[in-house]
Amino acid sequence: MKISRRSFTLLAAAAAGTVSMPGPLLAEAAGQRIVSLDYGLASTLLSLGVQPVGISELADWNKWVVEPHLPSSVVDLGSSYEVDLEILIQLKPDIILTTPYLDELLPRLRPIAKVLRLEVFTPDGGPVLEAATAATRTLATGIGREQQADQFLRRSDVFFEGCRERLAGKAIPPVALVTFMDARHARIYSAPGLFHNALERIGVRNAWTRQSNFWGFETIGIEELSSIGDPDARLIAFDPVPPGVLSKLAESALWQMLPFSRPGQLSVVPPALMFGMVNEAMRFAGLVTNVLDQDA
Amino acid sequence: MIALRHDNLGPGLVVFLLLCGGCVASWFLIQPTLWGTVEPGYDIERMVLYYSTLPRLATALLAGAALALSGALFQQVLRNPLADPTTLGVSAGANLALVVVSLFMPGLLGAGRDLVALLGSAAAAAIVVGFGARRGFSPYSLVLSGLVVSLWCGGLSAILTYLNQRYLASLFIWGAGSLAQQSWVIPLSLAWKIAGVAIVCALVIRPLSLLDLGESSSSSLGVKLARLRILVVGCAVTLAAFVTSAVGVIGFIGLVAPTLARLSGARRPVQMIVWSPLIGAALLFLTDSVLQLLAGGLGDFLPTGAVTAIFGSPLLLALLPWLKVRHRIQQAVVRQRQRRWSTRVPATVALAGMLVIVALSLFVGRGPGGGWTVLSGEFLHDILAIRAPKVFAALGSGAMLGVAGSILQRLTGNEMASPEVLGISAGATFGVAIALFAVAPGFAGQFAFAVTGAIMVLAVILLSSRRSNFAPERVLLAGIALSAMVDAVVGVLSSTGDPRAVLLMRWMSGSTYLVDGTTASVEVAIGAVLIALALAARRWLDILPLGAAPSSAVGIPLACSRLALFGLAGLMTAAATLTVGPLSFVGLMGPHLAREAGLTRALPQMVGAALIGGGLMVLADLIGRTAVAPYQIPAGLVSALIGAPFLMILLSRRQ
Repeated sequence: MKISRRSFTLLAAAAAGTVSMPGPLLAEAAGQRIVSLDYGLASTLLSLGVQPVGISELADWNKWVVEPHLPSSVVDLGSSYEVDLEILIQLKPDIILTTPYLDELLPRLRPIAKVLRLEVFTPDGGPVLEAATAATRTLATGIGREQQADQFLRRSDVFFEGCRERLAGKAIPPVALVTFMDARHARIYSAPGLFHNALERIGVRNAWTRQSNFWGFETIGIEELSSIGDPDARLIAFDPVPPGVLSKLAESALWQMLPFSRPGQLSVVPPALMFGMVNEAMRFAGLVTNVLDQDA
Repeated sequence: MIALRHDNLGPGLVVFLLLCGGCVASWFLIQPTLWGTVEPGYDIERMVLYYSTLPRLATALLAGAALALSGALFQQVLRNPLADPTTLGVSAGANLALVVVSLFMPGLLGAGRDLVALLGSAAAAAIVVGFGARRGFSPYSLVLSGLVVSLWCGGLSAILTYLNQRYLASLFIWGAGSLAQQSWVIPLSLAWKIAGVAIVCALVIRPLSLLDLGESSSSSLGVKLARLRILVVGCAVTLAAFVTSAVGVIGFIGLVAPTLARLSGARRPVQMIVWSPLIGAALLFLTDSVLQLLAGGLGDFLPTGAVTAIFGSPLLLALLPWLKVRHRIQQAVVRQRQRRWSTRVPATVALAGMLVIVALSLFVGRGPGGGWTVLSGEFLHDILAIRAPKVFAALGSGAMLGVAGSILQRLTGNEMASPEVLGISAGATFGVAIALFAVAPGFAGQFAFAVTGAIMVLAVILLSSRRSNFAPERVLLAGIALSAMVDAVVGVLSSTGDPRAVLLMRWMSGSTYLVDGTTASVEVAIGAVLIALALAARRWLDILPLGAAPSSAVGIPLACSRLALFGLAGLMTAAATLTVGPLSFVGLMGPHLAREAGLTRALPQMVGAALIGGGLMVLADLIGRTAVAPYQIPAGLVSALIGAPFLMILLSRRQ
């Protein structure tokens, strides 16, 4: 397919057409063509009522982010680390959203469009959820959507509060949050990460008390889960769980001795992005609340 | 009976000391639990001891024994003190097979895991040993090709993993050899598998020890040589495959243990084969228990296999002077058929091909919808500004790698020699690793670190081989040992799952993505100067392959010319690595294709290699950019993927 100017205008028109569908907040967005090189920023953008023209790694959106749903008109820009610059140029963006993580791309991006660089995960950034909230406001200022940001953050507060209330007064055990890597290793999430902050926000204790790196995870052998003292602690594992892991664990004598192997102590929940922003924290909180609420 | 002989004292003492060390370390590990009060009911610490700590120690003992036995068998049957599952590429072959299967056919892994590993390592062993057989099992050729296969498999599995599942670093962990256990399943199954192979070994010990008498004497004593070799190599490969399939790649134990056995006094084959596994078991036991103590203290995740490689590869360096090196006069390939064309024809074809590829690469691409487009109109200027630097940087690097490869193959008389094995690329990678993890500078800083790393490695290699007058064998093996160490360090970094490791992997995968106009013009300029220098040295390159004595006889200063040529090849490799990554194998393919086309003398071969190498690299870049657009496959990876089958065809044709 040859991309001519005309087919581009059509594409843009199509994009603008779908923009008006999802919600009431999308009026003057059509003027700005924004691309995002980060999942968290892309989902925040949607919540501010702006539809990105293109995002990086669109192909894996449903594997890691899932919510909010992404309209089909969004163009895939390829991997974040190696955004397809040729396609990016042809999209003619006005604003490019990026993170410190992609700084080496800056010299290539700046000639193409105005670059908004937002920091969420930084070595001295502190709690990730706070940083994400701050970044949401910065982003809103950058694209002139402060009002929508206020509304979105208020919605998220209400949502977290709702989760907290659903769980309040119930006997909620501490939870450990993992992604299984294979039958012997897992990634476990703790302070100062996004998941940990969201847990605090909805009043659930994290069973894994050790601090981790600034992305909020560390890699452990499964046997280290035994250092969790509370016998009532719950283990929540996020999809995707590699094939064969759960059956292999079931055969392991050590695993059988861990409290998590008892029926109802381990839940596998749909994917949630650990390197995300406010939306991802909300999705995470919703998933965890559902699991805990059902069993409490 | 064996234990009574006094020459068994040394190895016995080594085993005893290592075991003592291991026991002390593991005592510190388990002592708090044992002395703790026994709680009724839920006593998780004791469970961890029974089902994690103890199985892990048992696995360490078993894996150590198996790898050491495998190494000892390889060394005995190939009569090569440097052979082991790591240096022969056997472990890496198993690893690559498992990575490929778990990425693309995960269903196979449940039941057929051992089988997959076995197939992978058997393929690697067949390539390496098959190649060695054609060269009369020359120790140095064998290890050289083994390490090339090892590098290739290791690099490819890391890159495949990186491209496919960024957030799941499980394959890294496993590739780096983690011994963590949660049950007795793995050590128990490993135990009976190893026992089975060990019994077979016990049956062939006698004929195997007769091998020391030399080929003719042993065959006159009734030893069926070929069959024995195949059987023993089969045993060794199987052992390595079982261990790799169970716990991943554990580097260099199979080299270190037999070496320790030999150093402590074991001489006869029976002694080597009995003592090596014992030493190997004790050694891995000690390493792993110390590592567990340290890891417990640091709270870090350290894969044992990568750590053994970090300590094992310097040993390989230290062992190099022990290796008997004979300079082999390059077998001139006698061409039976009449050459139908002069050197001008293939050179012209190569030039034309390269020009066509460059033109295609500049003007063909994919649009936002995924359709193929020929560049024109509105975006012509902007997009050319992105593409042209990539294309010309790829061209320059490919040409330099081709010429560097020609120089190395001529200097060493070894058709497996390629710039990858000089270790310079590894040095550059290491520089970037330090930059990313310790200093965290911008992109320009990374570049500086890469150059520094490459130059340091080149200096170390040249210094360490100065005593041997830069004998090519020494230089290459030193380079490979350094590469193995750097690989291991990178493995440790990647398996922590730190997202910065992804940046490192991208560097290693050889992407031209970040090349801009300035970099490209610098690259092309450097390339032009260095290639011109290489062409000027054509007389040396025509004469040096004839051997040391003839070369000095016609007045070539040996040390001087070798230093200059290695330095030149090193600089070219370093410059190329900075844009196309440490692993491309263009430096292997270019010179070969040139020679196959009939360009046999130094000057035409280098010109041909430069044209073909440059063309291949640009083609690889074009394929990588468009095949799965908008996602990009790094040019280095594409060319390495082309390089592998090429290597096999090459080896099968040289009868």
